[in-house]
Amino acid sequence: MWKYYEDLNVGDHFPKISKDPISRVQLVKYAGASGDFNPLHTVEEVGEKAGTGIIAHGMLVMGMAAQGVTSWIPRKYVNSLQIRFRKMTFPGERIHVTGKVLEKKENNQIVSEVVAMNDEGEVKVSGTFEAILPSKIVQ
Amino acid sequence: MGLELAPYTYSVEKGKIREFSAAIGDPNPIYYDEEAARKEGYEGIPIPLTYLQVIDLWGGYSFEQKCQMLNLNPVKILHGEQGYQFLKTIYAGDKLTVSGKVADVKVKQGSSGGMNLVTLEFEYRNQFNELVARSRNVTIERH
Repeated sequence: MWKYYEDLNVGDHFPKISKDPISRVQLVKYAGASGDFNPLHTVEEVGEKAGTGIIAHGMLVMGMAAQGVTSWIPRKYVNSLQIRFRKMTFPGERIHVTGKVLEKKENNQIVSEVVAMNDEGEVKVSGTFEAILPSKIVQ
Repeated sequence: MGLELAPYTYSVEKGKIREFSAAIGDPNPIYYDEEAARKEGYEGIPIPLTYLQVIDLWGGYSFEQKCQMLNLNPVKILHGEQGYQFLKTIYAGDKLTVSGKVADVKVKQGSSGGMNLVTLEFEYRNQFNELVARSRNVTIERH
């Protein structure tokens, strides 16, 4: 985990985290936990009617991206996370989360990229997060 | 556009934080154990970065209600974008009041046909009436 502004440089890559494959049970758990009961995520017939089959909650994949972010930078220093949903995620797919430092701003702020993809490298969600880290330099 | 959603209030609960983190499979001890969180410099159990979805869906409008209110066809919609901004750490035990509005509605022609883009913005205030977070999301409705 990175705890100081000076320890990060533009272009640095954060270590990839790899999740277990998404199961149907996980989608049921996430539906209950989040309150997102869109039946497209849990009911076979609804998935078939939509022409996609059952798809994972986009917010579950974003939650995995957030897990990556807060495994790299302490949660309390992260002050924004914004992402775009790029592709649908299906049960059985495994999500990998990567990130890199894009920019170092004044006031000890860093801007970084976060990407969640499957085994084949298909990007599911991508976006940026910002964090303000303490400095080692005593003012 | 400009439509304001009736505000709602909901408490952040540690059991729900645990359930939510377990559903994602995030093992970070700060979400499960208050002592571990305090050791890392938190005042209690903090919320995960995407937890405000719980406040919105359990405390506010359900998926069906939202579709009805915004006149969206539930089988034609996709989540396009989601953003969170945090001004202060939110902890288990906090009580959040949320106000939201429709910030933008656009019609777009994509490669696979037309679509409506609906942008909602929300503000979250704690029990001391401090603004602690903002969120913004874009819903895509395919024609």
